[in-house]
Amino acid sequence: MKLVALAVFLATAYAPVQALWPLPQHIETGSSTLRLAPTFQITVAGHGVPGDLVAAASRTKQYLFGDKLERLVVGRGAVDAPSFGHAKVLSRLTLSLERGASFASVTSEAQKAPEDRDEAYHLVLPADGSAATITANSTLGLFRGLTTFSQLWYEHDNTIYTVSAPVTIQDAPAYPYRGLMLDTARNYFPVSDIKRTLDAMSWVKINQFHWHIVDSQSFPLEIPGFTDLAQKGAYSSSQVYTPNDVRDIVSYAGERGIDVMIEIDTPGHTAIIAEAHPEYVACPGATPWATYANEPPAGQLRFADAKVTDYIAKLFTAVTAMFPSKLFSTGGDELNTNCYSIDEPTQASLNATGRTLEQALDAFTQETHKALEVKGKTPVVWEEMVLVHNVTLSKETKVLVWISSANVKAVAEKGFQLIHAASDYFYLDCGGGGWVGNNPDGNSWCDPFKTWQHSYSFDPTANLTAEESKLVLGGQHLLWTEQSSPQNLDPIVWPRAASSAELFWSGPGLNISTALPRLHDVAYRMRQRGVNAISLQPEWCALRPGACDLTA
Amino acid sequence: MPSRVLVFTWLVFLFGHYGWAIWPIPRSLLTGTSPVKLSPDFVINLQGLSNPPADLASAISRTQSRLHSDSLERLVLGRGSGDAQAVEGAHLLSSLTASLQHGSPVRSIAEETTLAFDDKSESYELFIPDDRAVATLVANSTLGLLRGLTTFEQLWYDYKGTKYTLEAPIQIHDEPAFPHRGFSFDTSRNFFPVADIHRTLDAMSWVKLSILYWHIIDSQSFPLEVGAFPELSQKGAYSPEEIYTREDVNNIVAYANERGIDVIMELDTPGHTTAISAAHPEHIACAAKSPWSKYASEPPAGQLRIASPSTLSFARTLFSSVASALPGTMMSSGGDEVNLPCWEEDEETMADLVQRNITIADALNEFVQTVQGVIKEHGKTPFIKSDMVLTHKVPVVNDTVVVVWQTSEDAAAVANISLRFIHQPSNYFYLDCGAGEWLGNDILGNSWCDPFKTWQRAYSFDPYANLTTDQYALVLGGQMPLWSEQSSAENLDPIVWPRLAAGAEVFWTGSTLPDGSPRLGMNATSGTNALARLHELRYRLVDRGVKAIALQPKWCVLRPGECDLDA
Repeated sequence: MKLVALAVFLATAYAPVQALWPLPQHIETGSSTLRLAPTFQITVAGHGVPGDLVAAASRTKQYLFGDKLERLVVGRGAVDAPSFGHAKVLSRLTLSLERGASFASVTSEAQKAPEDRDEAYHLVLPADGSAATITANSTLGLFRGLTTFSQLWYEHDNTIYTVSAPVTIQDAPAYPYRGLMLDTARNYFPVSDIKRTLDAMSWVKINQFHWHIVDSQSFPLEIPGFTDLAQKGAYSSSQVYTPNDVRDIVSYAGERGIDVMIEIDTPGHTAIIAEAHPEYVACPGATPWATYANEPPAGQLRFADAKVTDYIAKLFTAVTAMFPSKLFSTGGDELNTNCYSIDEPTQASLNATGRTLEQALDAFTQETHKALEVKGKTPVVWEEMVLVHNVTLSKETKVLVWISSANVKAVAEKGFQLIHAASDYFYLDCGGGGWVGNNPDGNSWCDPFKTWQHSYSFDPTANLTAEESKLVLGGQHLLWTEQSSPQNLDPIVWPRAASSAELFWSGPGLNISTALPRLHDVAYRMRQRGVNAISLQPEWCALRPGACDLTA
Repeated sequence: MPSRVLVFTWLVFLFGHYGWAIWPIPRSLLTGTSPVKLSPDFVINLQGLSNPPADLASAISRTQSRLHSDSLERLVLGRGSGDAQAVEGAHLLSSLTASLQHGSPVRSIAEETTLAFDDKSESYELFIPDDRAVATLVANSTLGLLRGLTTFEQLWYDYKGTKYTLEAPIQIHDEPAFPHRGFSFDTSRNFFPVADIHRTLDAMSWVKLSILYWHIIDSQSFPLEVGAFPELSQKGAYSPEEIYTREDVNNIVAYANERGIDVIMELDTPGHTTAISAAHPEHIACAAKSPWSKYASEPPAGQLRIASPSTLSFARTLFSSVASALPGTMMSSGGDEVNLPCWEEDEETMADLVQRNITIADALNEFVQTVQGVIKEHGKTPFIKSDMVLTHKVPVVNDTVVVVWQTSEDAAAVANISLRFIHQPSNYFYLDCGAGEWLGNDILGNSWCDPFKTWQRAYSFDPYANLTTDQYALVLGGQMPLWSEQSSAENLDPIVWPRLAAGAEVFWTGSTLPDGSPRLGMNATSGTNALARLHELRYRLVDRGVKAIALQPKWCVLRPGECDLDA
């Protein structure tokens, strides 16, 4: 079994190859120093090599020569310098597909349904200077191998080297969905910040960008045919994601092995639609907001109104054309019933049709999900849609468990595939204090802060039967941005989000003490590449693995 | 001076909002309702100073430059466009005349900044007319002029290149409630490049902070180049690039002083000194001894051998070497979190105690007396951490300033022994709280001072809580610290800003708002009150290149009060 094999290798693998993150499933390493030739080349064998794989190879070379990361030991790279003299030199890395596989772009491989993605690869780095190789069944697998390869190298005094040759790695992810969610509605994030985040995600093999693009506070997505929503609902005309921006982000992500799952959160979290269509929104700006919504401003779609259902179904259809992903999240969290109790049009609709609010919600959900399904999309919903509301969902629907990890079992018992996104493990915004005004003693609702250690300790199949465990697609960290903006994006996300990246790639149960030195390496390398990852500890600790453990 | 019309408009202000973008809010502020805009060739003239100090000229030049480059649109729905019409017909202001009050000494800002608190004047008067072309700024020191320029910069919004206010005439009489308004900065747990310190000093000056309390060394690294002992940083810094050379320190101190910020350097002793052992193992007890939790508050363990005559001599030279290189009238010997088992199990220390027939308490007293003596010899006031006087009851020199840090409750205890003090309580002001445990292999660990201290929490601090009125004079001010176990250049701005500004207003504005109402009155941290101004400050900080975080969704920022708890 995979996990057993992994545990056996861990003891030997951890010490020399500190930088690999996520840890490969199978790894064997030596202790020879190998230098990278200044003329080092990456070549791809075969014909019809897709452009995005060539570009990935080129980026890898830039990282190899640009990272300039000195090894995190006392004395740094100088400690390794004596071994440079007789080290062999590596001049080539060759990528090739396994026999019988044919080239498709990294992008198209990444945009497949999670269960169809093939990310496995085989990497061999000989110690004698002969060419290194990465083989895989798909260009996506080759891309993952390149990512691993770039983490093997350190720099000292203009020498690029590894101290762990030879290296043999056989690797594949434990889970097909390894995500990061970003909320771009509470505060706006320019395209360049999203791209930098996508880069960092790809470095730790995260393959899913869950884009919570709109919410009650702003509507920054320009949708062809529905442009009034962003015109009136974005924070400003410069804080809009145009169709070109979306194409740019989707393709940037795809080239980096990342699929973009858009979320149009409905029917709650939609107050901002009232700016363009007040007739579609119940209780917009109702006060006290705390009665009508989980946070200000209140306002939810009048889903009992057939016109609204039709409008959202058409809007979904228009959005499906912008995102090639098979996954499409329709949201569904935090629906507030008080909002509808005071909304006369909703009450009138319900009376006229003789339906309950729940029945109307069911009809709305079925209609809007049908619009997705005819376009070949699989709906993804927040957990309340299966645990709180009695709505009809296709059995393919995926469920995001967010309120608590304790709810995972209940979702699994209903037979839905699920994605771990629990606030008690994976919310990056917890611990930032209360953000509503006039509340000096307010605390973060999901206090305390979720440290990387806490996220890392999560067990994806806790309390699940073997059958239920098969329903776990993977999981993700999430950043809600009431108190975040481009100014703190990197520090609040990195390196913490890497902890779930390893959890869902390498599998659970890894050793937290041996993970920390590798995570320091991730953070230091991210900084070298221009991502402002925070220090997890004083540098004194980063150079002395284990010395700052609780019980050291 | 004011006409009847002006009096009328000033009365109007009492019932409306005032000075939205000014932070800290001045002690006395009257505003009107007339639009005034800066002339495209607006200039700041110094009057009556034929040969102005260079740092004053530089300050004026920086203000000129920021007036031009700041492009903050007013934070309302529609932003600046709603003001376009008013701005078009606005009265034009062509210049600001800055002058020293008759008879005031002409000294550089840096000289004024490094005076003792009792000799320092930061007050100024600023008037922006709505019917004349010239605004005026008057102070009795160049430091006061700097504070006034800082306020002046905050009065203006941008709309399509035009800088304007809607609230003229504006009359401000201002001075700080407390002289010590600081930021305590730990550059030892992780190193911060000089450029990051410069940027932080700039931002500090924009909210009129007066003190950089520089916790420059600690157990993890010794980045300070000391003239007498260059080996301390050579061997104790993280790398040769992660050292503050004497030139760097001079540069940082000068940069700070020109911006109205005095530097108090803390050489934290006798605990928190393990990094010294890299060069001088003979002076450190229990260096990196395990389990660290028995010998220190955090890894690595290690403290100065306070009973050793040679270590005392080393400490004397260390303090003397550092003190003699610094301007300013204050210096700290730290003194927090000393650990007794570290010494009790140290053979050398025990041998010294036996030989000298003294106790650890005697040795600690002698050590503190020694380093405080050196600080005094260099004409500086010694600062010390509160546990030295409260827990260890170490006798200190009379004019010692105590840094109250463990809890705000300790302030009254320090006052009761009649020592002057500054507020730095972890339960209000620690910027690092709430970020989770940083020790390894501690899955369920939490931040020791959880939860996060929000700006609202810091703002709600009362410097006089639990003190008798005759103890008020002992309060010199306060400071918010950043301990950097989990911080580095990468998150410096977001973790500090705009929260640090909360402390800046607490200690500048004091207990009363300019309209006479209590600063901590009803709805103090509402989006219609302090929060609205703090949003403005945050947007201005971002505009100037400081990565201050968003305190709320922008939806809330543009709708003051609608995201209050009770809205």
